[in-house]
Amino acid sequence: MLSPDDTSLVGSNTILEAAGASLSGRSILRGLDVEISPGQVLGVAGPNGAGKTTLIRLLATLISPDQGSGLVLGARLGSPDVYDVRRFIGLMSHTPAVIAELTIRENLEHAARLRGEDLKRIDTALRVVGLAGAAATRGDACSFGMLRRTEAARLLITRPRLLLLDEAFSGLDVDAQELIDALIERTIEQDGAVVMVSHDQAHLVDRAARVMTLSAGRLETVT
Amino acid sequence: MTFWAQAVEIARVDLRVERRLGDVLRVVLPFAVVGLLVFPFALGVDLSAISLIGPAVFWAVGILFGMQVALRQAAHDNRERRDLYALLGVDPAARFVGRTISGSVLMVGFLVVLLAAMIVLYSPLLPQGWPVPVIVGLCLTAVGLTELGTLAGEVTAGLRNRTALASLIIVPLALPLVIGGSQTLESLARDTGILPWLLLLVATDLALAVAGVAMARSLEEASR
Amino acid sequence: MNRVRILLATAGIAVLTGLWFAFTSPVDRLQGEFSRILNLHAPFMWVAFLAFGVTAFASIMWLIRRTSRWDRLAVSSVELGVVFTATGLFTGMVWGQAVWGRAWDWADPRMASTAVMFFVYIGYLALRRAIPDPEMRAKRSALLGAIAVIQVPLVYFSVNLFRSLHQTQSIRPDGATMPDEMLTALLVNFVAITFLYFALLVGRLHLARLEEASAAETARDPDAVTPPRLSEVKDV
Repeated sequence: MLSPDDTSLVGSNTILEAAGASLSGRSILRGLDVEISPGQVLGVAGPNGAGKTTLIRLLATLISPDQGSGLVLGARLGSPDVYDVRRFIGLMSHTPAVIAELTIRENLEHAARLRGEDLKRIDTALRVVGLAGAAATRGDACSFGMLRRTEAARLLITRPRLLLLDEAFSGLDVDAQELIDALIERTIEQDGAVVMVSHDQAHLVDRAARVMTLSAGRLETVT
Repeated sequence: MTFWAQAVEIARVDLRVERRLGDVLRVVLPFAVVGLLVFPFALGVDLSAISLIGPAVFWAVGILFGMQVALRQAAHDNRERRDLYALLGVDPAARFVGRTISGSVLMVGFLVVLLAAMIVLYSPLLPQGWPVPVIVGLCLTAVGLTELGTLAGEVTAGLRNRTALASLIIVPLALPLVIGGSQTLESLARDTGILPWLLLLVATDLALAVAGVAMARSLEEASR
Repeated sequence: MNRVRILLATAGIAVLTGLWFAFTSPVDRLQGEFSRILNLHAPFMWVAFLAFGVTAFASIMWLIRRTSRWDRLAVSSVELGVVFTATGLFTGMVWGQAVWGRAWDWADPRMASTAVMFFVYIGYLALRRAIPDPEMRAKRSALLGAIAVIQVPLVYFSVNLFRSLHQTQSIRPDGATMPDEMLTALLVNFVAITFLYFALLVGRLHLARLEEASAAETARDPDAVTPPRLSEVKDV
């Protein structure tokens, strides 16, 4: 088991080779070749149903490819090695992952304890994301923007090496969007990599060094 | 964080959530006591029969309604929460153990209160020295039922009609628990030795624990 | 708040007075000292029925008027009704154990139907807890509250409708069947416990108004979320 600060993962690429993935018996992704190096921001655009979320979940090691192969942070997809690297992956999916019955602070404490992180960093994280005054608010009483900020605070604490954002900017005000931009910037500065998915290609072009376009599970263009 | 520290943290938060929601205390437990009230209406008011069937009704109601306690966590589970725990590096086996710990605490409380309600309502004839062996049997049953509920919740994760499906999976597999628990009291009354029944409960709990820990990763992958 | 304190203090005095009457009145020849429990059991059960009746009325008024004060009245009365029912059931079981030799008697349909009534309103409270939106919570509770009151007359008249071990009503329009001193003690306790219910209801309504005001204030707090401090991101 790798330790929390194992730096041997820094510099490990993430590669998909002719990878494909299915859900409920339907083929969602086919023949994908993707390489993401540390320090890079990759954008993935495409219409609804193109397979963007499935790609994100594949990169998060949450699903395994049923065609081809892949390495994420050095761990082969579909092998037990993924359990060693998952803690270095951060994900903001379409729906915020916040435990509704806990307060914002309790959510962060829970995550920090499970990760063995210093609980003192929580106060700093709350202040940085602008939720210090709302830390006692329960998840089910939070607005969508507050939930996203809570996720951002959690990602600031966990310091992922691979940051995956699935429509993370949707529905957010300017302040919250700038916060996620700052999170992306910090991940890159710490030699991590970022993959961001959006149906808004123009939005991706502003932020990503490379933009892929997915259509019907296949990679069509790279800009 | 170590395996056991993760399990304890999972259990701690789960109990905190339950304290806030009050599903077991405010909904399932009253529902189960109403279940105890329904049986005599169906049987008529022959008092001697009611005293005799009290323990049997307790175990039937305890298992059927106890499933709601066991499946409680599954009801709050969603894909985002499962992904969150996976990416926080939580060992699926630690998650299983943590849920079993918190679920067992709630299940023991539930069954103890239900037992007290049965004793008041049915006035069963209880043998001498019944409390300790019956409570031990009850605790072992609670652990086994919670393990079954946690496993069934994982097997049915994300499926349509999950609650009914999980209940259908649990009930037949809970038969050793029903037999072990109920026969503990029966054998006390007959003075024929309770050890085989307690051992049956221990064996069932251990088998489910081993299955849960060994299959945790596979169950997690299958639920995606 | 002063008004609530005065009411509660007065109710306390009334209850103590009732208890004094209960402990100094003559006892039933067959039941002995345990007959004194009935001075509490019967009033608690009467007040429970009253409370659920108030809930039904408040629920219907909410459905007509749609103002929050009727919802506050409905839930406050249910909470008290549940407590009074539980106390009534408990005192009845103590009396039953002492006099009949068993705490619970399935042959008595009123006991079982009272327990069922208790759980109907436990379900009402559980329903309310499950609904975060105040408007939806008030609407669904009002519908359930209006329907659930069907239980109340069923419990009261079950003594006359079914064969029962329970004594029939001791106070009938043509005159009571107990000595005057016992009747006096019972009536004083009826008045005292009813007054206690009203005092607690006023107090609970006051608390409910404070809770609503506090929730509204928290919801309107504009300073809870502040702009992020982007320059401090690296400090986390």
